[in-house]
Amino acid sequence: MRRTLTLVFVLGGFALQAISYFFLAAPLGAQVNEAFSNPRVPFAALLFVLGVMAVFLAAVVYELLPERYGE
Amino acid sequence: MATRASVERLPYGIGRWSAGWVAVTGLSLAVLALGVFAFARQLIEGEVVTGLRNIGTMGGATWGLYVAFIVYFGGVSFAGITIAAMIRLLNLKHLRPISRMALVLAVISIILAALSVLIDLGQPFRALINLPLYGRPMSPFFGTFSVVISGYLFAGLVYLYLDGRRDAAICAERSEGVRQTFYRLWAAGYRGTPAERERHQRATFWLAIAILPLLVIATSTLGFVFGLQVGRPGWFGALQAPGFVILAGVSGVGHIIVLAAILRRVLGAEDQLNPHVFQWLGNLLMILTATYLYFWAAEWVTTSYAGHHHEVALSNALLTGEYAWLFWLSVGSLLVPFLLLARQFVTGQYRLGVMVVSGVLVNVAAIGKRILIVIPSQTHGTLLPYGTGSYSPTWVEYSVVLGLLALGALLLTLFMRVFPIVEIPQYAEGG
Repeated sequence: MRRTLTLVFVLGGFALQAISYFFLAAPLGAQVNEAFSNPRVPFAALLFVLGVMAVFLAAVVYELLPERYGE
Repeated sequence: MATRASVERLPYGIGRWSAGWVAVTGLSLAVLALGVFAFARQLIEGEVVTGLRNIGTMGGATWGLYVAFIVYFGGVSFAGITIAAMIRLLNLKHLRPISRMALVLAVISIILAALSVLIDLGQPFRALINLPLYGRPMSPFFGTFSVVISGYLFAGLVYLYLDGRRDAAICAERSEGVRQTFYRLWAAGYRGTPAERERHQRATFWLAIAILPLLVIATSTLGFVFGLQVGRPGWFGALQAPGFVILAGVSGVGHIIVLAAILRRVLGAEDQLNPHVFQWLGNLLMILTATYLYFWAAEWVTTSYAGHHHEVALSNALLTGEYAWLFWLSVGSLLVPFLLLARQFVTGQYRLGVMVVSGVLVNVAAIGKRILIVIPSQTHGTLLPYGTGSYSPTWVEYSVVLGLLALGALLLTLFMRVFPIVEIPQYAEGG
């Protein structure tokens, strides 16, 4: 349970970073028009930051959660 | 409320307010109030009350003292977390006593860096919405705020929290009332069983591994904000990113030496903060200072010997022109500590006073160098046909920066009154 949740936080955090960076934020490439300036989804940058936080939060999950219920 | 007896059982004077502590807190609050007043003036009247002006057309600099201190505070934070992570990764047990103070320093510094960013913006409260809403994660400017500030802050807080659980459990046993509730919440059921210790070791090991590359990338990103600007003589260059990493280490280690020396005396922690700890820090500072001096010399030779005329003009402004006093003050403030520390290393005779002086001087150099990185390239480094500009910070900027430093001192003081800033030794666990 603890290990699984830790892994979810680590992988989920990295996934959130990758998705927000490549697919939700403003497109990569030369800024030929304003579509390259604005994010495709609002608050994509915030999602990236939340991804960074989730990866570090995995350490708290790993250390605080019991291995199984009742431990 | 905790009773007097329970407070006296807590280590390092936690919960006790002597005249000295009250004086430091009062002074910090007074300077902070001055900073808040100055910032209020800036907020109401706009950045016209600062010395910041447009580059070129207004002959000024748009980035000034605030941006120099963003880089400075970010650098101190980088070094704090890096040292804590290195102590864990390399299992440097004799340096454990400085681990927590390095983390606290890192967290406080990054809060000050974030505030410096917001203060530098004309409309800081609007920026709080627009940055997360429109920011481009691939931009070095956004990277400064996201990876550097949120990453450092969160990594530092998580590390500090996990690292402090054992001491929180010890303090909970020795206290009562609200204070005990606080310690119990922090300890989160920590009992110090072998399984818990092993889990903690594993968690902090992987956390340290995750932190180190992030820190190097993040601090380099801060360097890239300057180093990638091809049209700005003095900024564009491959050495900016590694130079930022090394100078961050220099200022942070200098800070930790000074702080450790103060705490050794104030908290009576001579056993934990022993000469061996300072010897190690002094040698590390010597190596980092030498490395940065080499970087600085390499950069200067390249720009002044082979650079185009804009680079040479900027180099002349630094060496013999308007900024020469600050340039040579910064060089001297790095060179003197290096020579002092090298002498100690060669003779094997280490003196705490010499290391504290070195720690202070390298921070003078670090602030000076950050100002020299940020400002001269704007006033003397334009490729467009504008004349040379000038920048002089006003009392508002000086007051705000002093206010930030006072806020840092206040946060540090308050932390030390509620939690052990030096790890409680193993033998003291029983009480």
